[in-house]
Amino acid sequence: MIPPSTHKYADVIHRLEAGGSMLPDTPENLEQIIGIYKAYAVPMDFYWRDLLYIAERVFLNPLPAFKYFIPKEYMDLANSYSGDNSKLRIWRGGEKAHPELVAFMKHGETISMPKILHHLWHDRINMEFAEACMQAMFWHQDMGGRFNDYLESKEYLANADRAIKAYFKGNPLMLLLYKLFPEMFIEQVRQLSYYSNLGLFWEVMAPVFFEMSDLYNEGGIKSVPEAMDFLVNGIFAVAGRPIYHHVYIGNECIEIIPKSKGFTWLYEAALPYVEAVFYRTSPFRGTKSYNAQANQVPADQADFHYGILYADVYPVGSAGIPPTLLMQDMLHFLPAYLEATYQNHGRGDEDKLIQLGITFQRSMYNVTSAVIQALRCALLYPLNDPDPEHLLANRRFFEAQMDRFLRPEARLSDIQQQNYR
Amino acid sequence: MASILNTAAEAGCFKTLLAAVAAAGLSEALEGQGPFTVFAPVDDAFAALPAGTVQTLVDNPPQLARILKYHVLAGTYLKAQLVSQSDWPSLEGAPIPIRRSEPFEVKNATVVNADIVCDNGVVHVIDRVILPG
Amino acid sequence: MLIVLFIIPLLIGLLQLLTGNDSKRLRSITAVAPSIQLCLGIWFLKNPPDPISIEWLPQLGLKLELGVDGLSLPLVILTAILTLLAICASQLDYIRPRLYYPLLLSVNLGLITAFLAQNALFFVLAYELILIPTTLLVAIWGGSQRAGAAIKFLIYGAVSGVILLGVVLCFGWLNRSGLNFSYASLSQAGLAFNQQRWLLIGVLFAFCLKLPIVPFHGWQPKTYSQAPTPVVMLMSGAVSKLGAYGLLRFGIEFLPDGWMFWSPLIAALGAFSAIYGALNAIAQKDIRLLIAYSSIGHMGMLMLALAAATTLSLQGVMAQMLAHGLIIALLFNLVGLIELKTGTRSIGELSGLMNPQRGLPFTSSLLLIGLMAAAGVPGLAGFVAELLIFEGSWEIFPWPTLTCLLASGFTAVYAVRFFNRVGFGRLDPARANWVSTTWGERLPALILSLLILIGGIWPTSLTGISNATTAHIAILNTSTNQLEQQS
Repeated sequence: MIPPSTHKYADVIHRLEAGGSMLPDTPENLEQIIGIYKAYAVPMDFYWRDLLYIAERVFLNPLPAFKYFIPKEYMDLANSYSGDNSKLRIWRGGEKAHPELVAFMKHGETISMPKILHHLWHDRINMEFAEACMQAMFWHQDMGGRFNDYLESKEYLANADRAIKAYFKGNPLMLLLYKLFPEMFIEQVRQLSYYSNLGLFWEVMAPVFFEMSDLYNEGGIKSVPEAMDFLVNGIFAVAGRPIYHHVYIGNECIEIIPKSKGFTWLYEAALPYVEAVFYRTSPFRGTKSYNAQANQVPADQADFHYGILYADVYPVGSAGIPPTLLMQDMLHFLPAYLEATYQNHGRGDEDKLIQLGITFQRSMYNVTSAVIQALRCALLYPLNDPDPEHLLANRRFFEAQMDRFLRPEARLSDIQQQNYR
Repeated sequence: MASILNTAAEAGCFKTLLAAVAAAGLSEALEGQGPFTVFAPVDDAFAALPAGTVQTLVDNPPQLARILKYHVLAGTYLKAQLVSQSDWPSLEGAPIPIRRSEPFEVKNATVVNADIVCDNGVVHVIDRVILPG
Repeated sequence: MLIVLFIIPLLIGLLQLLTGNDSKRLRSITAVAPSIQLCLGIWFLKNPPDPISIEWLPQLGLKLELGVDGLSLPLVILTAILTLLAICASQLDYIRPRLYYPLLLSVNLGLITAFLAQNALFFVLAYELILIPTTLLVAIWGGSQRAGAAIKFLIYGAVSGVILLGVVLCFGWLNRSGLNFSYASLSQAGLAFNQQRWLLIGVLFAFCLKLPIVPFHGWQPKTYSQAPTPVVMLMSGAVSKLGAYGLLRFGIEFLPDGWMFWSPLIAALGAFSAIYGALNAIAQKDIRLLIAYSSIGHMGMLMLALAAATTLSLQGVMAQMLAHGLIIALLFNLVGLIELKTGTRSIGELSGLMNPQRGLPFTSSLLLIGLMAAAGVPGLAGFVAELLIFEGSWEIFPWPTLTCLLASGFTAVYAVRFFNRVGFGRLDPARANWVSTTWGERLPALILSLLILIGGIWPTSLTGISNATTAHIAILNTSTNQLEQQS
């Protein structure tokens, strides 16, 4: 009804306007993204539990050497969106930690050993990735929603003050340090609030991905747009979920960010996460030198483009590059059909990490498409709206989103080809 | 004339809205003096949201209250006044844009019935739930 | 037993004729020859063989005289190793294998005979024998500009051979004990100083064309960059050592007074070559040419040590011959592998090869070892050679030695720059569609790296065999020697 777009990514925009995803709809794409969603969801199950553990229990422990040693209580913490007792059940599976995760935590890549040995050998889930995502959100603070503003408010300061004093009750040294450097402790509490935020965000995403994988195995999801629609529906269904930060000190539960503040999953967690982590993140320290004076790093933080959507997926394999850590995690939980695909391409086992990294990039473009479609559905007009003015408004929205992929580092054109692997 | 809530109850097509208002604990506020300008989504508007959306919101009153407050302006504004400004500050805090005057469009919703005057304000009936952002 | 070394390539050559066109079988059969030579060579270390002397053409003074001494045995072993590895590095899809493998063996035969020869005319025979097979190997299996490279190489080689023949004939005529070309007689020939001076010019010409040394190096960059990988391994590793060996024998051993006269010039040539090679290597954009110029640089340093002709510096010469033979073969092998896999030899197009998943991590790691060895990093064979060269030449020729030290520093420059560009950095995903190397392809490089490492931590392996001989032919004594003699 409206003339075709003249944007560089016109065919992608037309596909979005037809209800599709930025990722082309091919059976191979579908197989890859569902497989990688499942491989992502298992470590994510650990991430959200441990993030909440750190935010709620470890809290301000000055030497948190065992923050990755998640207690049984949190492994058994019921995911609100799976299990029989769930009020809004997304996944038909159980509410405790995924069995594959439990098995991996026992064996790792080596043998069954005491946890401390696994930890020291670094044969474990790379929780550092989750913390890197949290730090990206913390650093790119104003990515939408009211969360960040609240963290600066008097009410939050009062709550945090109560929590800090309760936590360090009977510890005169730390209380003295708090008196001398209050801002340092408050900033730590703010960071822990972001831990909680991210943990609650991922608590939702894990069952979504598990259910998508199950549906695909049963033949319920037959195309990439269907997978995207599942995500869109999931985003809406959980959009109103409260985001909060409760700390458990002794027998007490101190609500640093109470549910009554009205923070929602969509506005305070999901959208800031997409902005901060998918698009921006930060340059990976230690692998490359950036000359700030030559503007090799953008002067404007909003101009950062180091997220998965722009990533060069040839991991140097160095320690501490967050995507490499995630890829290493996902390597352990690939479904059989995806393993077979990787064996038959590239160098088989040797470059599996790169292959799955590129698959992951495709899948995150799909998730971003779901977010874009969800935003369009929430803030703009239906795709089959009869009014051409409305369709033009949709078009402008899509074009503005695609403008963000005009920079050379964007991988949008790469994922349109099947041989990008 | 009746209050806003009574008017809505009588109209018969705002059952979901009224249930939501009650669940969010905003009934008393909306019964008050006001005056309020309320953009009231019809039942079909709530039904058009993907499954589970309303359920999640109803289970979490503070979050529900936030979404509902986004549909309310403080003060009485008829259509003629509303179209004179490009956006209006909602009770939630985010602005409500007026995108078109003919047909009368508030954000991405069309006003199917404007200027329903009540005791404590005015109601404009919209065909979609509007969301901040 | 010596004759076996000589006979084996001929026998295997016969076998090759009987085998069909099957590349794999030909390769396996051919590999037997250098393997036996290697075993024999190692056995000869402990059990020195008796020399052989058979009359061939007494009117010409041509005798089949074979023997090993401290100078030639290490080189025989080196030749056997390099031939074996060159055969392993030969691709199975080379055209005309029935011609290729016999030609390789002919080069091997020529080299072994040249090193075993105890008769100067016989030496020239063997020297010339190598020329045609190597030319053919370059001309048929080489790169895109192989024809021009082969012709250039042939002309330079032929000139070198003719000059050498002339010199050797002069040796015979001037020999006071009649037309006797054998080394034993020539080393006691006692030629007049004037005769020695002018004969040495010829010797220098002939062998500097072979090493090569600037300004006689015109053929080398082109030929080394166009030759196929196994051939260039053999050429740079073994055939060029013929030049150094020739200078040791015909120059220092037979013409010591002439050598003393010309040694400042020789030292200057060597120093100039070293700097020339290193600076040119820095400027190269082609990986093969970079290694070729690096080889010129190292030969320059060898020349300096030859010029000084002290006991220590001649030990350095031997060490450098062996170490450089291994190092340059390693470098050319790896660079050839890189070119084979990535399809390009331009440094500008290569980067990020160390990437563990999609790059060539094994090859690049060994390349790093090779480059470090070439730069003279301690712990690897190159350091031993360079240390001996510099220590041995410093007292005699301080300025050329300093120049060579500078050149050694430049070696580090191009090695680091090269590896930085090629190994590190970002791998271009659009280009990274090659297959990784197999263990068969990695084997020659692996063995060479191990040998270089052993040479670096066990220096006696490089100089031990030749110590006595080099001490015997050394012309000068340095203070270090005198210290040794006192203690």
